[in-house]
Amino acid sequence: MQSVREEESSSIDQEPRSCGDNSVWAHVSPLLSAACSDLNEGELIHGDNFNLFAAMSALEIMDPKMDSGMVSTFYSIDEAIESGFAPVPISSDRTVDVQCIIDIMDHLLACEATWHMGHSLAQTVFSCIYVLRPERTSSHALLHSFCRVIRATCRALVSVVSDARTNEEEDLFTMTYGLPFNGDEDGKGLLLLNAVEETICRQLRACKATSSKRRVFEELEPLQTNPQLEEGFCKALLCRIRFRKHFLHALNCMRRPQGRGLELARKHIAYCIAELESVLSSVEFLSLETVENGKNEMEESTTGSGRHPIGFDPNLNKRLSAPTPPRAIKLLSWKKAIDYYVKLLHNLDQICAFKLEPDLDAVLQFVVQFQKSRPDLVARAHLQLLLVQDGKLYGRDTFLTICARSLALDVTKNHGLHLNEYILQLNQLMINLLKILCANTPWQRRKLGKILNDWSIFNVQMGITVGHMMQQVTTPRTPKNGDKSALILNHIYGWLEEQIHWVALRFLVLGFDLKLYSPSEYCMVYWYMYIILWKLAEKAHFRVLIIVHTEERKAKEEDYSRDMAREDRISLWVLLLKCQTSLAQGLTVMIAALRNEGMCSKSQGPFNTENEKFVQHFGLLQKASLPKYDAYESFSESTCHARLDYLPVYECFRDAQKMAKEIKVGYANDPDKLAEVVGLEQVAEHNIIAVNLLCQDRCLKVSFEFIHHPHFATAVVRRS
Amino acid sequence: MEQEEAERSTNIVASTSEGSDLDPIARVRKLLFRQILVGIKDGRFFLGNFHCIDKQGNILLQDTVEYRSIRRSSPSPTEQRCLGMILIPASCRTSCHVDCSIEEQLSLIQLKE
Repeated sequence: MQSVREEESSSIDQEPRSCGDNSVWAHVSPLLSAACSDLNEGELIHGDNFNLFAAMSALEIMDPKMDSGMVSTFYSIDEAIESGFAPVPISSDRTVDVQCIIDIMDHLLACEATWHMGHSLAQTVFSCIYVLRPERTSSHALLHSFCRVIRATCRALVSVVSDARTNEEEDLFTMTYGLPFNGDEDGKGLLLLNAVEETICRQLRACKATSSKRRVFEELEPLQTNPQLEEGFCKALLCRIRFRKHFLHALNCMRRPQGRGLELARKHIAYCIAELESVLSSVEFLSLETVENGKNEMEESTTGSGRHPIGFDPNLNKRLSAPTPPRAIKLLSWKKAIDYYVKLLHNLDQICAFKLEPDLDAVLQFVVQFQKSRPDLVARAHLQLLLVQDGKLYGRDTFLTICARSLALDVTKNHGLHLNEYILQLNQLMINLLKILCANTPWQRRKLGKILNDWSIFNVQMGITVGHMMQQVTTPRTPKNGDKSALILNHIYGWLEEQIHWVALRFLVLGFDLKLYSPSEYCMVYWYMYIILWKLAEKAHFRVLIIVHTEERKAKEEDYSRDMAREDRISLWVLLLKCQTSLAQGLTVMIAALRNEGMCSKSQGPFNTENEKFVQHFGLLQKASLPKYDAYESFSESTCHARLDYLPVYECFRDAQKMAKEIKVGYANDPDKLAEVVGLEQVAEHNIIAVNLLCQDRCLKVSFEFIHHPHFATAVVRRS
Repeated sequence: MEQEEAERSTNIVASTSEGSDLDPIARVRKLLFRQILVGIKDGRFFLGNFHCIDKQGNILLQDTVEYRSIRRSSPSPTEQRCLGMILIPASCRTSCHVDCSIEEQLSLIQLKE
């Protein structure tokens, strides 16, 4: 047997498992060939557990799109390094060295932005050998410190996104398997970078000095060998270094608990934006010596100079990023990367500027407003971590306190209430809601639809318990404090209904943002919005009454100053809801009338009935008892008799118009809200005109477009 | 005797002339679910459970481990990683070995006689 083993081991260079005493590798190729030739066309040899469908998911070896182990340029990182792929220093000519380092810095920025947009670290930032093997660059202060700060930044961001657990939606971001991710927890990278920055500053000052002063600075070695390029290179390096520094500082400040570092973070963000402007303007200097390849190439380049950077190979880590297919990814161009960072910085600044008021209305409105600019994962993760920390709002206020505050109730004396099972569950629901509201729009809408049922069930359970408690409250023997708990819970129960309707409204409205409704479905969508808005406005109005009543009582009993501003704010919001209710109602009746008179498309298609479409869109709401009655039946009944010359159409839009004028005064100091109200006003005005025109001439064509407001359509009338 | 055994064990070949009582297809069927080691053109090896083969000679392996060298030149250390289910096209396959015990091999040899 000995000779067998020797013969076989020559045909396998390295055996994965050495033949023990009891096993051999038997050569079966000829047997397989013989079996194959005996098979019929299309016949397979397989076992009982074989499933063709499952077999389709097999990775095909030697297919570049599936086989991440295929050898491309280098067999390994070590081989790449040995072949001089990433030299340190990059060049013995210090001018070339500096040029190349700037290219590396620019390319890393493009890689980082690409990573943020949804690719893996292995194929982007860690495709750089200098970042993969930081110990190699320790002799080169600039490259070394820069790479360390890059890694520290990546680590900070992965930590934020992991903690926010938004990576359920965007999984590749946090994948760091097999990458040298740790180290530099001591923050030494920033210290080293500071030292490098200091040196380059002095070099810049030296080269700007007049000839008479030159003698003083002679002992300072210049950055590179060409004196005419010294200033340009120093400036180009300084703005890049400073951007990196301030960005990491901003991230560290934003991570401080309870939002303590937000003000300082804003300062760093402002520096970052300023330095990015300098980075952009350094392009002119850097691309001077590059042969112009054409405008397109420069636009697509991942560096400011237009040259290819040294030391990057995205295939090196192919095998580490196993869940991702080994396809080459397209990196963002350098200019687009800078645009991305500018947007990110503005979003982060928006978060830092938020005044951390313990006011749930303010929080919800801020999150909704923030999401309008479609912020990316990094910004949204930061917002979520700011809002929800340690199970409290801003890590500071319990949700019981927040909820009570929105009802002008004082819960400081009711310590037991914090441990009440309903309050604990409410806490969880609120935390969950805030996290969902910080997610990306499609995921957010899906989750909002799902939690409606949870909220509804909780509402019913709480209703039963509170009902019993309130019955006991009416007996004279219950203690005063007991009264208060029951009353507070009763108010919270009412508030809960308001929140459920708020969630339902958000669910419906996001459908417009995601373009989920076809024009033939607008009628039913606006009808549903109308009934939800109506209820929401009613509940919110009721809350205002509670607040006013409570505040008036407190003001009489003790020396207490009412928070009139809060009352006015909520009242204004109620008026806004009523305005939107009227608009929704008007649109429902108008579209229904047009449909009944044959002037616009019905919602019955060749595949689904109107009822089926209704259930598809609103099934989750109906399941959560929103409304409690049969929605489709109610919808059909209320819209089947609508006619264009039916008076309520005008009334709805006129009411909306009147209310909008009143609301505009209240929001005079809030440009975002003012813009929205102006939009609502215009929708109302234009729809009144449209209805008038359509009444006079039934042959006109009408379509509904979102010209003035993203959720409320304006009827556009045309001759033909 | 040893030499004879040695010759037989290097090639488990279907030889109807030798009067084997099982045809090649049946013998290959017996190899299903066994560990096989497939070598391919670029020098890598794949060790997995034999799951399926078709007329063209394309092989499906399950719970596969890939072995590759870290350097172009041999000898060099190998590294391995798990892949799951893979398809090895016949065109890139260079070798194929089955892991079997000496006793099994003997019985396999007996099969073909």
